Amino acid sequence: MLEYSMVHMASVIVPLEDLVSSDIEEVAQRCSVSYKALFAIRRVLLAQHTAFPVSGADLYEELLSSTAILSTGNPSLDKLLDSGVYTGEITELSGGPGSGKSQVCFAVAAHISFHLKQSVIFIDTTGGFCAGRLLQMLQTETSNTQEQMEALQRIHVSRLFDVYALLDCLYGLRGGGLQQTSVGGGSVKAVIVDSVSAVISPLLGGKQNEGMSLMIQVAGVLKTMAKDFNIAALVTNHVTRSASGEVQPGLGVSWSHIPRTRILLERVEKSAVFSPSGLRSATLIKSSRQPCPIKEELNLQWWSRSQEASSSGKRKLDETDS
Amino acid sequence: MTESGAQLFARLEARRCLKDIEPRLFPEDGGPNHGEVVELYGAEGTGKTEMLYHLLCRCVLPVASGGLEVDVVFVDTDYSLDMLRLVSILDNRLNSARSPSAGSDEAVLRSCLSRLLVVHCSSSAQLLLTLHFLETTLSSRPGLALLLIDSISAFYWLDRSEGGASFSRQEERLSKCAELLGRLLRDYRITVFATCHAIRRRSHSGPPSSSESDRPFLCRPWQRLVTHRLVCSSRQEAPNNNNNNMAAAAGSSEEPRTRQVFTVHATAAASSSTTSSSTATSSSPRTKTYRSSSFYVTDGGVEFI
Repeated sequence: MLEYSMVHMASVIVPLEDLVSSDIEEVAQRCSVSYKALFAIRRVLLAQHTAFPVSGADLYEELLSSTAILSTGNPSLDKLLDSGVYTGEITELSGGPGSGKSQVCFAVAAHISFHLKQSVIFIDTTGGFCAGRLLQMLQTETSNTQEQMEALQRIHVSRLFDVYALLDCLYGLRGGGLQQTSVGGGSVKAVIVDSVSAVISPLLGGKQNEGMSLMIQVAGVLKTMAKDFNIAALVTNHVTRSASGEVQPGLGVSWSHIPRTRILLERVEKSAVFSPSGLRSATLIKSSRQPCPIKEELNLQWWSRSQEASSSGKRKLDETDS
Repeated sequence: MTESGAQLFARLEARRCLKDIEPRLFPEDGGPNHGEVVELYGAEGTGKTEMLYHLLCRCVLPVASGGLEVDVVFVDTDYSLDMLRLVSILDNRLNSARSPSAGSDEAVLRSCLSRLLVVHCSSSAQLLLTLHFLETTLSSRPGLALLLIDSISAFYWLDRSEGGASFSRQEERLSKCAELLGRLLRDYRITVFATCHAIRRRSHSGPPSSSESDRPFLCRPWQRLVTHRLVCSSRQEAPNNNNNNMAAAAGSSEEPRTRQVFTVHATAAASSSTTSSSTATSSSPRTKTYRSSSFYVTDGGVEFI
């Protein structure tokens, strides 16, 4: 009410930060609103729009009760991630073509949906999402088609191919889409974006700053979504070669500060024999909990292994190998 | 502007000087004084946030455990504050310094954490408004001596794109934040530590101390505010012979891993005049002092070499 009357008298609309930074006495003289009223308005506006400071003790209590660690289903990957993907932060998987990033994303989605019975949002920007592959992974977990269908229904897929659609989707999720998706199935515990570099790297480079700004916006909305709704954000990234020739994740220096945990996936180079199709080497290159770098051998076929311990199960694995 | 007697008292009463917050980082007697700003600059993975945790713990821990018992405000602009990691460092330090007569760990930990205030900001406009709001917090908590900002460069690309073609519009918001911060520093005499992420990759072909990629890129009002600059870097270090022998003697089959060593080059602009009044220092030449230090990051936080 007071704000409206002030704007009406002054007949001008100013951005909030200008109003807050300006000298109250000066504005009071110009707008013929009382100093006291302006002071009260300023206090209300500040209270509405600033971020509220939280005591460290309260923040810690809240985190203890709300942070969850989602196991990925693969023990070597869990070991690298310090027992799984943490909610409230962004985890990045980078790797070249064929390094298995999408496979890991499918497997994590299937594991969370089937074993943890929670919903997953899968955003596919490369067109590489394959429901048949997901079904294949679920079929090795259980032969009950009802359970397979339920698990598949808990994975919500969006296909987007440019950064504006991605931002729209993420803002929509943050603005209420997550609650809507949670009705029915379990609450959403993970958002997987495969891959974030496919929509952003075409915009980088050159003299325009808009690409960098869009990248930081995507990062910002993913982080706030992860923090506010206690979900784990998993993104994939491509790789480039550094000046000294070693492989490094793409999207540049400004992106490198964004994810809390980063894993680099590479094909295993075995000299004589063509390496089994499932083996990859995963290196932890950034972590706030473990000393880096740590290298582990990752078997992509772990998730597809048959649950039965019988010899028929073993034969299935051998068949896929050859 | 009128202020109450309590506010005046809170403003003028001297807050704890943090010159001795970490003498191993700064040159001789070159630690940050009242109203000084330290910028931690570095690429990803060079230990800036770990160093902030180290300083935070040093401030909130009780004096018996080697702390300073001052209040700290942590402004988190890129959601990089990992409370679980912070608490594990605090726990570690409390346990190593614990005396049998001290209260239970839980209570001491809670009291340490209650000295910390955390604010999350998601845009530079919100940062500006939050700094305005912090003024009331500063006047109501005379024990507040340290403001940590992680990181001040989080909105750099957002601001640049919003400002369009003119550089002054691009830098406008951060300039306003810097000016406001300057006023808060003068009025309340707190100390500020801020991290700044590198935006250019360091070229490996040049000399390690080349300043090309370490040049400050934020707006001038912020650069004028910074009195100490810590440039952070890291490298992999092969384990030395002692470790090898010990591992062999213990019969362990693990091959010794390379450790990551973090290095900090500190540049402090120390005024050469001894009489410190704000007008005098601007005319006297400021000499620069340097110091290099290295540390490992362990479960208990930063460990200097």
